[in-house]
Amino acid sequence: MAQYDLTPRIAPNLDRHLVFPLLEFLQERQLYPDEEILNSKIELLSKTNMVDYAMDIHKSLYHTEDVPQDMVERRAEVVARLKSLEEAALPLVTFLQNPNSVQELRADKHYNLQMLNDRYQIGPQQIEALYQYAKFQFECGNYSGAADYLYQYRALCTNSERSLSALWGKLAAEILMQNWDAALEELNRLKEIINSKNFASPLNQLQSRIWLMHWTLFIFFNNDNGRTQIIDLFNEDKYLNTIQTSAPHLLRYLSTAFIVNKRRRTQFKEFIKVIQQEQHSYKDPITEFLACVFVNYDFDGAQKKMKECEEVILSDPFLGKRVEERGISTVPFRDEFLENARLFIFETYCRIHRRIEMGVVVEKLNLDHEEAERWVVSLIRGSKLDAKIDLDSGTILMEPNHPNVYEQLIDHTKTLSGRTYKLVSQVMEHAQTLATR
Amino acid sequence: MASKFWTQGGSDTEEESSDYDSENDDLTQTDDPAQTAGNRYLTVNASDSDDSDTQKRVVRSAKDKRFEEMLVTVDQMKNAMKINDWVSLQESFDKINKQLEKVMRVMESDKAPTVYIKALVMLEDFLAEAMANKDAKKKMSSSNAKALNSMKQKLKKNNKQYEEVINKYREHPESEEEAEDEEEEEEETDDSEIEDPTKLDISDQEGVSEADEPDDQESGWMRQMTKKDNLLAKQFRDPKAATWEKVNKWFKEIVAARGRKGTGRYEQVEQLAFLSQVAKTPAQKVEILFSVISAQFDVNPGLSGHMPVSVWKKCVQNMLVVLDILMQYPNILVNDSVEPDENESEKGLEYTGTIRIWGNLVAFIERVDIEFFKSLQCIDPHTREYVERLRDEALFLVLAQNVQDYLEQTGDFSAASKVALRRVELIYYKPQEVYDAMRKFTEQSEDNGEEGEESKVPEEGRAPTMFIVTPELVPRRPTFPENSRTLMDRLVSLIYKHGDERTKARAMLCDIYHHALFDEFSTSRDLLLMSHLQENVQLMDISTQILFNRAMAQLGLCAFRVGLIAECHGCLSELYSGGRVKELLAQGISQSRYHEKTLEQERLERRRQMPYHMYINLELLEAVHLICAMLLEVPNMVANTNDVKHKIISKNFCRLLEISERQTFTGLPENVRDHVMAATRALTKGDHESAFNIIKSLDTWKLLKNKDSVLEMLRANIKEEALRTYLFTYSSSYDSLSLDELTKMFDLSEVQVHSLVSKMMVNEELHASWDQPTRSIIFHEVEHTRLQALAFQFTEKLSILTDSNERAIEARIGGGGLELPMRRRENQDYAGATGGAGRWAEGGTAFNQGRQGTSEGRSGYGGGRASGMGQGGGYLRDRAGQARGAGGYSSQVSRVSHMDGLGRMISLNRGVRV
Repeated sequence: MAQYDLTPRIAPNLDRHLVFPLLEFLQERQLYPDEEILNSKIELLSKTNMVDYAMDIHKSLYHTEDVPQDMVERRAEVVARLKSLEEAALPLVTFLQNPNSVQELRADKHYNLQMLNDRYQIGPQQIEALYQYAKFQFECGNYSGAADYLYQYRALCTNSERSLSALWGKLAAEILMQNWDAALEELNRLKEIINSKNFASPLNQLQSRIWLMHWTLFIFFNNDNGRTQIIDLFNEDKYLNTIQTSAPHLLRYLSTAFIVNKRRRTQFKEFIKVIQQEQHSYKDPITEFLACVFVNYDFDGAQKKMKECEEVILSDPFLGKRVEERGISTVPFRDEFLENARLFIFETYCRIHRRIEMGVVVEKLNLDHEEAERWVVSLIRGSKLDAKIDLDSGTILMEPNHPNVYEQLIDHTKTLSGRTYKLVSQVMEHAQTLATR
Repeated sequence: MASKFWTQGGSDTEEESSDYDSENDDLTQTDDPAQTAGNRYLTVNASDSDDSDTQKRVVRSAKDKRFEEMLVTVDQMKNAMKINDWVSLQESFDKINKQLEKVMRVMESDKAPTVYIKALVMLEDFLAEAMANKDAKKKMSSSNAKALNSMKQKLKKNNKQYEEVINKYREHPESEEEAEDEEEEEEETDDSEIEDPTKLDISDQEGVSEADEPDDQESGWMRQMTKKDNLLAKQFRDPKAATWEKVNKWFKEIVAARGRKGTGRYEQVEQLAFLSQVAKTPAQKVEILFSVISAQFDVNPGLSGHMPVSVWKKCVQNMLVVLDILMQYPNILVNDSVEPDENESEKGLEYTGTIRIWGNLVAFIERVDIEFFKSLQCIDPHTREYVERLRDEALFLVLAQNVQDYLEQTGDFSAASKVALRRVELIYYKPQEVYDAMRKFTEQSEDNGEEGEESKVPEEGRAPTMFIVTPELVPRRPTFPENSRTLMDRLVSLIYKHGDERTKARAMLCDIYHHALFDEFSTSRDLLLMSHLQENVQLMDISTQILFNRAMAQLGLCAFRVGLIAECHGCLSELYSGGRVKELLAQGISQSRYHEKTLEQERLERRRQMPYHMYINLELLEAVHLICAMLLEVPNMVANTNDVKHKIISKNFCRLLEISERQTFTGLPENVRDHVMAATRALTKGDHESAFNIIKSLDTWKLLKNKDSVLEMLRANIKEEALRTYLFTYSSSYDSLSLDELTKMFDLSEVQVHSLVSKMMVNEELHASWDQPTRSIIFHEVEHTRLQALAFQFTEKLSILTDSNERAIEARIGGGGLELPMRRRENQDYAGATGGAGRWAEGGTAFNQGRQGTSEGRSGYGGGRASGMGQGGGYLRDRAGQARGAGGYSSQVSRVSHMDGLGRMISLNRGVRV
């Protein structure tokens, strides 16, 4: 299933630290040889300051107790740098750790800066040091510390560029700590900034959007409400355009979200068109499934794709999240997806048929006879389906649904009165303006 | 003066043998006539008895008289030239030819007298000038123009006999003292402080050297120079002695004479070329060479004619030499922003600081390209000359490549991108085969090229005064990567990075064209949509608009080749909406019945024409467009026969169909249009086989590379559309239809039929549903009762009423939320009036109007959208909701703005409907 693995396409758009969970997942799924993954982990770590971790991995990779010299050196260097940064940021950190003094801070940034400068001799250098310190903390893997410092830093920082990168850092830290709600907050803040900010170049903005979308995958697929939110975000014109130009692989997540989400049907049709258009630039079983059902009406094909989809979901780090429950691990997302996909197929199938054999239903839905019948009945009972089961001949009979003539007539004339009213009011307005003149 | 005649009359042998000093002249005057007259008399008598009387009487003047006559005629010709009277010129020409016969007879020689040759040369030059000057040609009276043309023919024919002599004469026209040259000589004496003796000396020398090697056509530099050059040569005979000041002084003088009356353009070029040989410092050489190049550009006056090919080639060589020098001495900077120091170029080899020289390489390159383009425009594409000329492309490419490299080295990337664009524009339209051919050609000609260079080298070596010897540093052969795509990518990415707006837009269009040429539809479509070019191309210059049209046409062809019918139609329909394809693609001038073009407009249009080898085959384009329209329109037409307001997809196609239906008798299809119409008739009946066969019989398909696969695609498409048409037409006659039956009828697979029919059902185009157990389609036809039908009609009328109310109010009040439909219509009317994309076609004024119209229409449209969003948006969405329409084209990068574009395109269609 490695061919459908998106990690290589997603990783460049993530922070180094965010790639770890993905690699962990891949290791667990054993899509690639262990060595490869461990190697890439070390590679990944080489640019961060998590030297200890890198050492551990190195040991397990080569089964030795020896650590390369450069790692040891690097460790010393990191520690030294940490010390120096800590010192530099110390005044501010002590200030911030003191709850009494923190209370002196007010909502007014300028006042705060002034106050800090006057009373504690904390100037811009110290504030800058705080940022560096937080960054370093983050790189060392101390996410919670980093998140705290960054939060404080944002309150004091005046440089908008810096503030933005602090925000990114905070978001990454929250994601890595799996504080999904906090992360969501940061996310929205970031989104606003990206939308509103006058970026130096559109390219820059595009890049930020791409990052944002990739990062949000962590949040949305771990949050209860995420599936609706992902549709809302990704389906925004700007973001959809971004997906189409630069990151078509994200279509997988959007399609999945659409399939499992029943509420966003209005946008769904539009989305089908996007899928159709992007077929040349990106396709995987999930998008192909949608194309089969809604573009080609190829139900056999759809059924085949459904099976492939299952595997794709299982091997995707975001979709295939496992839930351990009393020793049994399940992938909740898979079940949900399959159920909905089935429903899609069946719904569309019914729409264009008048009479369907039960056997076909059984086959198309990958269910056994009894189950299929129960499924159909429940649909009928839930008045989602206007049909009857003819047990005699073993078929389902659809009720023909013709548009009612009278309804049509009403539709035709419905808007007329509104338009006429508007006309009249326009005329009146015009007359009034003439009169007042 | 009389002596002159003698020497002229005397054959060349005479000239060779005698240095005609005045004493000598006297001698010949006394001796010669008697001698020759005697001889001649005899022969004349023998051959021509009629004239014998007169001959006898005036024995001596027999020759003189003929000459006199001839001179008189020449004078007449000169007069005629002055007043541009070709009729009398023609007469004189006939006369002089007759006289020539006589003179030849009298002189017993087979060589034409110099007077005659001179007249011929004069005539030729004048004719060339007249031909080049198209304005004047147009102003001529018809009889005059006719005479001019016949004169051209005659002269051509006539001159062939004397080609050699003429050439010789041209090479050294001044071998004899000429009265006409007096002016120049005066100047000369004024300018140069050279005493007469020297002058004499030179002419002597010349005479001698001529005698030495009279047949050597390529006897090098000195020979081809005019007298003045020789003066120069004289002055610089000892090159070592020439100083920088001297050269500079001469240079200044020559440059100052530029454009002055009586300064021969060719001569100036040659003088300067000579000077460049004796230049003392590299900087000076560059400076002079720049002047040479500009002078070479000056050779061709007027905008319509093109620079002579030979001059063009020399010009390119000069550019290459300049580059050599610049490469060799990187401290020489070429710049046109600062006025450099007077004596900047004095700094010699040993000077290491930067030397600034005024000049603009990019401007030169562009001019060279323009001249090349113009020459291709002017040369008849069916001649060999055209092919020969096309080969020079490699020459230009190498120059451009070198200049670009140089500019990149000096870090002037924006200039480099301009040059890169020129290269792109030579490459973008070439399919891989043509590109390969070009590449092979340059590789092959390598050997020949080297030979040519070898022959050139000794020549240069012989020029004794060649001072600054420059090794050929820059390569003289273009290097092409295997794949034209790689080359394009390289150039284009440079342009995107550094070019200005126009350069980028053009490069983008070329890129789109090139991608389309390689059947990469999605890439080129993405490029087009991402660049938003279709939105602001109307604000660009005409040549870019033409390029845009070309790119669109190619994109359409590409879409067709890969089987995207709707997209193809979307690309091409706008081109064809005004019936001015030729004009829009600048491939020939279309004559409009209703609109007479002024001369000015026509000239402008002629100047915009694409050279023949860049043409997009119009027949193929038309075939593709009509077939796409057919495939889309036929089912659409049939589906909506009862609907009065149904949407027409291709207005153009519908009109053609109407015309063809009106014919009482339809013969066998002859042109593309007939073929498609015949196919349409078959398709309407659901007869896919004959429809396909008719289309297949078109012979334009041979122009396609992957003909078979395209035809296969067409066959599949025709089958599908035939199925759809069949279902639409005959669904009311069936209660049910079996799947097997349909697959058999239309030769399609079950899956295909199922998918197609299902699609129609879902889109509610077909009121039917599948009966799965029996594998058949059940049609549910809902018959409306009379009352219901009437009620529908009633509601329809009501909505029409409301519509017209809205329009009326809008017309009175203007503005408001409901203005949208009206605004849109205005926009269309405008588009319809000026013929779709043909807005620019009207030339100056109309173009401006068109522009205003567009911007007005657009702003109105935008405004309407903002205020009446509910309606406008809904409308757009509806539109986009249609699977088939132009919707396939929708939304790439900026879906929003693209919607705008889409709306515009649709609004064009809609204008047709309303």
